[in-house]
Amino acid sequence: MAVLRKPPLILLLVALPALLGAQTASEYDVKAAFLYNFTKFVDWPSDAFPDPGSLKVCVLGDNPFGASLQTLAGELVGNRKLTVMRTGSLAKPAGCQVLFISRSEREHVSQILAAVKDSPVLTVGDTKGFADEGVIINFVLEGSKVRFEVNTDSAERAGLKISSKLLQLAKRIVANPGARPGP
Amino acid sequence: MLPRLQRAPIRQKLMLIAMVTTGGALLLAGIAIIYFNFSRFQAEMQRDLVSLADIVAQNSTAALSFNDTNAARDTLSALHSRPSIIGAALYGSHQKLFCSWSPVSGAVFPARPARDGPRFQDGSLVVFRPVVLKGERIGTVYLRSNLGELTARVWAQAITVLAVFLAAGIVALMLSSGLQRLISRPILDLTGTARAVSQSRDYSLRAARRTDDELGELVDAFNGMLDQIQRRDSELQRAKDVLEERVQERTRELQQRNEELNQSNRELDDFAYIASHDLKEPLRGIHNFSSFLLEDYGGKLDGEGRSKLETLMRLTRRMETLIDSLLQYSRLGRVDLAIDRVDLNEIVAESLDSLAISLREEKVEVRVPRPLPVVRADRVRVGEIFQNLIVNAMKYNDKAEKWIEIGWRKNPDGPPVFYVRDNGIGIPEKHRDAVFRIFKRLHGRDKYGGGTGAGLTIVKKIVERHHGRIWVESSAGEGTAFYFTLQEGDVRA
Repeated sequence: MAVLRKPPLILLLVALPALLGAQTASEYDVKAAFLYNFTKFVDWPSDAFPDPGSLKVCVLGDNPFGASLQTLAGELVGNRKLTVMRTGSLAKPAGCQVLFISRSEREHVSQILAAVKDSPVLTVGDTKGFADEGVIINFVLEGSKVRFEVNTDSAERAGLKISSKLLQLAKRIVANPGARPGP
Repeated sequence: MLPRLQRAPIRQKLMLIAMVTTGGALLLAGIAIIYFNFSRFQAEMQRDLVSLADIVAQNSTAALSFNDTNAARDTLSALHSRPSIIGAALYGSHQKLFCSWSPVSGAVFPARPARDGPRFQDGSLVVFRPVVLKGERIGTVYLRSNLGELTARVWAQAITVLAVFLAAGIVALMLSSGLQRLISRPILDLTGTARAVSQSRDYSLRAARRTDDELGELVDAFNGMLDQIQRRDSELQRAKDVLEERVQERTRELQQRNEELNQSNRELDDFAYIASHDLKEPLRGIHNFSSFLLEDYGGKLDGEGRSKLETLMRLTRRMETLIDSLLQYSRLGRVDLAIDRVDLNEIVAESLDSLAISLREEKVEVRVPRPLPVVRADRVRVGEIFQNLIVNAMKYNDKAEKWIEIGWRKNPDGPPVFYVRDNGIGIPEKHRDAVFRIFKRLHGRDKYGGGTGAGLTIVKKIVERHHGRIWVESSAGEGTAFYFTLQEGDVRA
């Protein structure tokens, strides 16, 4: 039913590799799909969900995904339904399990991170250097190919378990402030 | 093949049975083991490959999710540690080939994933398995494995089975060559005994009983039969011995009795000869003195006295004739025959010559239908036979036209039969044996020309001295025929 109700995302996901291979998919369509896929490789502690039936993705700052962000809403990750919420400030980040920190918030990143510090929130950045700042997953581009970095220290601090499979795909893993290159 | 098998000794047959049975059972068991193991290997291989595919699927979720073909290829190429894997591929959820790997170059991969599950195809085992992430299918993994391991295992199995087959065959051969004796030995013993018995006819032989089974019973039955045969054989032998002994005893008795008879016959002959010879002397004296008496004192006697004296002389003459006949007869038993070749035609002619006057007077016609043979006999005695028989035939005939026929016929079963036949008065049946008795006359002393009544007795004696036989056929009033044989007869036609 969800599939029928949400054809755009399905189409996007299904077509993703082909689109990527053809280099015709937009960068943020891919990043939206990645954002969704990250949730499948990350385990939150059980008390991270005030509402066990939903997984909330919050976008802080500008929305670079455009319409593809909305296509994520309603998708299922395990038995949780994904919801998408935009927020302009840190006023109410609580209740978010995924926090995308837009490039527009690059000045406030340390504040933001401090605000969610020790909370089970998967922070995702889209700006160079964010991983070293302490953002857990940070998109990077390798040529035209979308990749990502992972800061395992931050993840550990947040109480999140990131699948080794995801780590294997990371372009770089940041284990401590002294960064080390990814595989 | 079958007739040759039938000719084969029982020992070989038993071994063949054991070998064929063992071999057949082993072969079936071997085939079953290979077949079931082959199936098991196949199932195992499929299970292994499915497990491997699932592991690859698990390890490929992230690469598929994040479109990382490099990572996917890394995952797939880790399969090089499995030499049997000759191809691996990942398909995205859109069923397009996402990534592929093969240890050999030029490998071809299916353009789209097929139905999930393992299958044998084109000499290899292929499997498609879903790649599932958080309950959602995000792609398909494809693995292709060669069947080298399966083939190797089946071969190893086959070689093992073959080795077991050969080893079991050798063991079965050794065991059966030993165990077949249980059956073949008693049978061979029995056969050997039967052969020995039938060849040597020694019914005291026995087959050895070795077993308590049906063969043992057979041996017992065989021995039982031999017992009976032996018993009957010995009874038969005993009966034969007794019979032989009895025959010999009887023969001895007969010989002795014969000897005694001959002895007494000889003594009787001697006695008759001596008696008659000695009787003649005083008889002649009586006759002579009667004659002197009649000559010298005839004139002094009256007619009655002379008549009585003449009667005395007639009686003494008659007695002399009788004694002469007796002497002749007894001489026949004493002297040896002078056997020579005798032409019976001459003999008969001589007899007829000497009787010519009488024959003419009596008007007897003598017929000899065909020439008589030459025989081996005593010429004089055979002449006496014909003489006597012709005289007899001539005398006892009251017919107007008298005839005598002298002839013979060949006898396929013995010596030729001679006969002297007449158309005389014949001999009544009750007297036929009496005619050969000495001095037995059937008629009055002076009837039919008189005679002593010794003629046929002498004939019979002569025939018997020639080891022949004489008999008479006659019908009263019509005629008589005397038949005789001469055993010494040697026919020269």
